[in-house]
Amino acid sequence: MEDLPVLEIRDLTISRNRRVLVANAALEVARGRTHVLVGPNGSGKSTLLSAVLGLAEFTGSIRFHWRGNGRIGYVPQFFGVDRTLPLTVAEFLALTRQRRPVCFGLGRGQRAALEALLARVGMEGFLHRPLGALSGGELQRVLLANAIDPVPELLLLDEPASGLDESATRRFEELLVEVRQSCGAAVLMVSHDLAQVRRLADEVTLIDRGVRATGSPTQVLGADLAASLALGASYAAS
Amino acid sequence: MTDLYTWLAAAAERGTLPDAFRYAFFVRGLAAVLLIAPLLGGMSHLVVARRMSFFSAALGHAALTGLTIGLLLGEPLNGAYGGIFGFCSLAALAMVYIKRHSALPSDTLIGVFLSVTLGLGICLLVAVTKRFNIHQVEAVMFGSLLTVTDTDLLLLLGLGLVIAALLARIYNALLLDSLDSATSRVAGVRSGFVDYLFVMLLTAAIIVSIKIIGALLIEAMVVVPAAAARNLARTTRSYLALSVMAALAAGIGGLFLSTRFLVPTGGAVVLVLSSLFFVTLAAGWIRNRIVG
Repeated sequence: MEDLPVLEIRDLTISRNRRVLVANAALEVARGRTHVLVGPNGSGKSTLLSAVLGLAEFTGSIRFHWRGNGRIGYVPQFFGVDRTLPLTVAEFLALTRQRRPVCFGLGRGQRAALEALLARVGMEGFLHRPLGALSGGELQRVLLANAIDPVPELLLLDEPASGLDESATRRFEELLVEVRQSCGAAVLMVSHDLAQVRRLADEVTLIDRGVRATGSPTQVLGADLAASLALGASYAAS
Repeated sequence: MTDLYTWLAAAAERGTLPDAFRYAFFVRGLAAVLLIAPLLGGMSHLVVARRMSFFSAALGHAALTGLTIGLLLGEPLNGAYGGIFGFCSLAALAMVYIKRHSALPSDTLIGVFLSVTLGLGICLLVAVTKRFNIHQVEAVMFGSLLTVTDTDLLLLLGLGLVIAALLARIYNALLLDSLDSATSRVAGVRSGFVDYLFVMLLTAAIIVSIKIIGALLIEAMVVVPAAAARNLARTTRSYLALSVMAALAAGIGGLFLSTRFLVPTGGAVVLVLSSLFFVTLAAGWIRNRIVG
């Protein structure tokens, strides 16, 4: 049987207020591979991800070839949690894992399951911490825990390391590799950090209002034109 | 119900209960408060989490306009539910629809609706006062114990149970949608459905509570309990419990103040509630200084 990609995008065009944000994009995300979208600010990377999530209107086709539960895990770029909201990590994770309203407490057996889930992302002991009191890196790990359970077939990450310091970024990357290896999900990730892309990506697609190049990290990031587009002025300076 | 009122009045005569229990209107008012407080107090933490405080103010003002429309259409002053429910529902649905389909900041949009409904309400109020005594209308604006009937209590109980049951079903989805709409959509939450359902439940809860709290003060009852609870709560569970406790304490305290000093019930309830907010604010500061 032909090994179809988990995600297949064809001729995708996304417009907003008569302005074309992404034109005629095509890409495939293969099973068990990490595919990274790179490009300058405003190039349409996150918009493309929004379309995959069903949050943006588009023309063209986005097809999923599921073999299992057809679940998408998602880690957003910004999770604007109100710092003063009295919501613990356990309650946040329980929101999608129990029918019983979380304001009435955790369901039977839920506590142990959530402890085990947090342990997978190195967050043991954080179950009863307020979500708003977590650091950026801790919050990202909780969001990753939320995304990987139940095991997704496709994991979407929108600049998951933005705002993290270098050590937190590396810790997050190690975790991502561990998680991908353990659950075998395909990963589609947006990233600005080209060093990170080289470390993580199997495939890279350069986006700039459409697909400019696609291939291995060496192929895409090696080309001068592609690199300058992906880096943008601010990155070139650094 | 008459037997209950007689029994309570006899207990008050004997000195077993406070003197106020001699009056059936007070007992009805107390029953209304005991039903309204958990309902609005419980909903208040979701209102605040969904950043809908200003929306509740707009609904209160829309209720005033709905009342005048109902009265002009021939509804009785003591039961203009058709006008209030019709107009408030229309305003609430329109606000949510435009909020979801426009790029306008929601506070700007709600400000526009608030102005329109209040402007319309004031204009219609002039026509209403030609047929009704302005003091009768004031009772609805500021809340009054005297206007609560047994039918109102049954309506409050029935609707309260339905609202609580529906909220329990969508609670987790509502809270997740309040945190991050993209994450909730990926989790399978139908954002539009929970958004519209919640505003309709909130509208219904506000309408059945208006008689005792008053159209102009109802916003306080759906915002301040959560604000007071937030000063102390650490978990969603304690947030809900403290919100309900604050609303109950304010409701009962306000009722006694209202009968003792002959001031509008709504105003008295809101004053007690506001006091609780400042007390919990201070308690929260002190706790944070001690705990760090």
